[in-house]
Amino acid sequence: MKLLSEAAISRRRFTMLGGAALAAPFVATRALGQEAAVFRIGYIGPQSGPLGIFGAHDGWLIEQLRANLAGGIEVGGKHMQVEIITADTQSDPVRASQITRDMINSAAPDLILTHSAPETVNPVSDACEAGATPCLSTVAPWEAYYFGRGGQPGTQSFKWTYHFSFGTGNFLNLYSGQWSLLDTNRRVGTLIPSDADGNAIRAGLLPRMAEAGWEIIDPGPYENMTQDFTTHINAFRSAEVDIVVCFPFPPDFPVFWRQAAQRGLAQRMKIMQMAKAGLFAAEMEALGNLGHGLCTGVYWHPAFPFSSAAAGLSNADLGANYEAATGRQWAQALGASASLFDAALALAAQSGDPKDKELMAATLPKLVADTAVGKVDFTAGPVPNCTVSGLAGGQWNMVSGERFPFQLDLVSNADFPEIELTADFRPLAFG
Amino acid sequence: MLEAILQGVLLGGYYAVLAAGLSLMFGVVRFINLAHGDMAVLGAMLALWLVQVMGLNVPMAIALTLPAMGAIGWLLQRLIFERALRGGFLIPILTTIGLAATLQNGMFAAFGSDTKSLGAHIGSLSWASWHLPGDIFLGKLPVYMFLTALVVLGGLHLILTRTGFGRAVRATASDPEAAALCGIDARRVHRGAAAIAVALAGLAGIFLALRAQVTPFSGPMMLIFAFEAVVIGGIGSLRGTLIGGIALGLAQAMGGMISPQFSILAGHCLFLAILALRMTEAAASERGGWRNTLTAVLFNRSQIKGRLS
Repeated sequence: MKLLSEAAISRRRFTMLGGAALAAPFVATRALGQEAAVFRIGYIGPQSGPLGIFGAHDGWLIEQLRANLAGGIEVGGKHMQVEIITADTQSDPVRASQITRDMINSAAPDLILTHSAPETVNPVSDACEAGATPCLSTVAPWEAYYFGRGGQPGTQSFKWTYHFSFGTGNFLNLYSGQWSLLDTNRRVGTLIPSDADGNAIRAGLLPRMAEAGWEIIDPGPYENMTQDFTTHINAFRSAEVDIVVCFPFPPDFPVFWRQAAQRGLAQRMKIMQMAKAGLFAAEMEALGNLGHGLCTGVYWHPAFPFSSAAAGLSNADLGANYEAATGRQWAQALGASASLFDAALALAAQSGDPKDKELMAATLPKLVADTAVGKVDFTAGPVPNCTVSGLAGGQWNMVSGERFPFQLDLVSNADFPEIELTADFRPLAFG
Repeated sequence: MLEAILQGVLLGGYYAVLAAGLSLMFGVVRFINLAHGDMAVLGAMLALWLVQVMGLNVPMAIALTLPAMGAIGWLLQRLIFERALRGGFLIPILTTIGLAATLQNGMFAAFGSDTKSLGAHIGSLSWASWHLPGDIFLGKLPVYMFLTALVVLGGLHLILTRTGFGRAVRATASDPEAAALCGIDARRVHRGAAAIAVALAGLAGIFLALRAQVTPFSGPMMLIFAFEAVVIGGIGSLRGTLIGGIALGLAQAMGGMISPQFSILAGHCLFLAILALRMTEAAASERGGWRNTLTAVLFNRSQIKGRLS
């Protein structure tokens, strides 16, 4: 009896042991992270789910980054290893928030990077703001990021979270510049759904386009997943528009465009300008002949005359190496993801000590970085926490005899005068 | 106006095929398959795989996909649904939710996240049209799809009304125990119905891939339209499903004429109205008809003929 009671663990002792056991992993990772001088970057994006296409290149890119950064970096006279940890949002905003909190609590990253669509960057950024972890994000209109998270212009709304991407101003610049290259009747039909992006575009962009001298024919907002676009097509046909601009939920676009071709609208139009849809070659391949000549905004292209320091490659090599290694065609998301890491390394260097989160947060508003998508300069605005990256004008052209059936040509460069165009802008021609 | 009506009717054919499998499953097997939309996407993915990887032409791919989907339906019923049905009312629903998630992520792993479309493989048919007098355009593809829907649903109707299998299906649907007493193997009938239902889902998926594009995550949205068409048309009746699909398509087209924003909403409104009607129908007949019910509700009179007698 006596022996037993000595060997048995008392309730108080059990609680102490259990508490220590639970706390040990956290204490250990934090302690280790401090000693080994590792700059730990958390990379959170959609790798599966409906937005998964934006993360399709992640496997290759992360490998390339790890290989290039294997020797570590020099920061403030100190040598540091770089560690990249990744997490998949599964395209779900709730899960995005959850895994960000988990990552902050369990791995204590010094910086979190996130990308692609407000459904990803907003919840991840909110979780970083709450968890006092610096965060950089890209590829979501900055208005959707800033106003969607309750940002107030004129004030420092967020301390930890910063975003660089295109915005409605880019679209105005791009469209006015590119459409003026062709001789049209300047009548523009708009296909804009009643969702968050659509409402922002309708309120922000259309009035400014009208001011710029384009006659806007807007049949009104529609619901995503609409299966029949008769109303829009008839309105465009009777107004004899030469140009249609759309911001659809991507699966809706082929439905609209095939119906437009069935009713003879597509055959008499000159420009079909897409945003949100049309970013990926796979979408064009799904359209077949109907994809030839469609236009889209381009936020990264292998022909952009920049390079990615983090990947150790010029943009041209980034695209070519990706295609050679994976057998898949390059996509804009590849360069955008690389640019996040370029900005991250620049931030580490400019802060002097990436392990000091307060210092990192204080450096973010002053960050100026050369990245794969061009110069990112947070001192430039338009609001605190956000800066605008550029958009070039792209046109999908069918090519024969090449490895991939569609190629994205650069046909206008309103935002980047230094970009060399790869083809002339041509009006739609089929039927 | 006429053009919108025509487009709505043609769209209805697609909805009817989409809904028919769901309706058949519920009517005969008493099983709500929440993975129906994902089954449809699976059919589309199989056909796409046959076309893009195996290099078959589209009609050949469709001819191979439909029996394959039928076999999958038979196996699912044999291996999963039968067992789930024994677990009561909730288990089948949970099972199919799980199946839907498995299918979505499985297809994502197997086929990738790229959007795909069969429309790119049928040349100009995906956008060819007839120009009718009165400046009306009728797309050839929607017309062919509508005719296919009529033939398939009509053929199924004939099978159900004219063949021994059809008799067995109807008998099992109306009273499984009595049917079993007459020597009908209900399990065999259920497997046959599941095979037909999943093959129909596959056909609907192929339709979607022809007219639009599919990703592994397109299924849930298809399920909503399928459910609406089933409820509008009445559960378990193929003719009703066809009418329900056309009504849904028409409602969306007519709603779209009022305002583009009203298109899908009009479909939902029709669905809710019919649902409300169906739900109160039973209560009304219990109170001795609509007139008595209205009187009772409006004037708060509690004498109910039917119940007291």
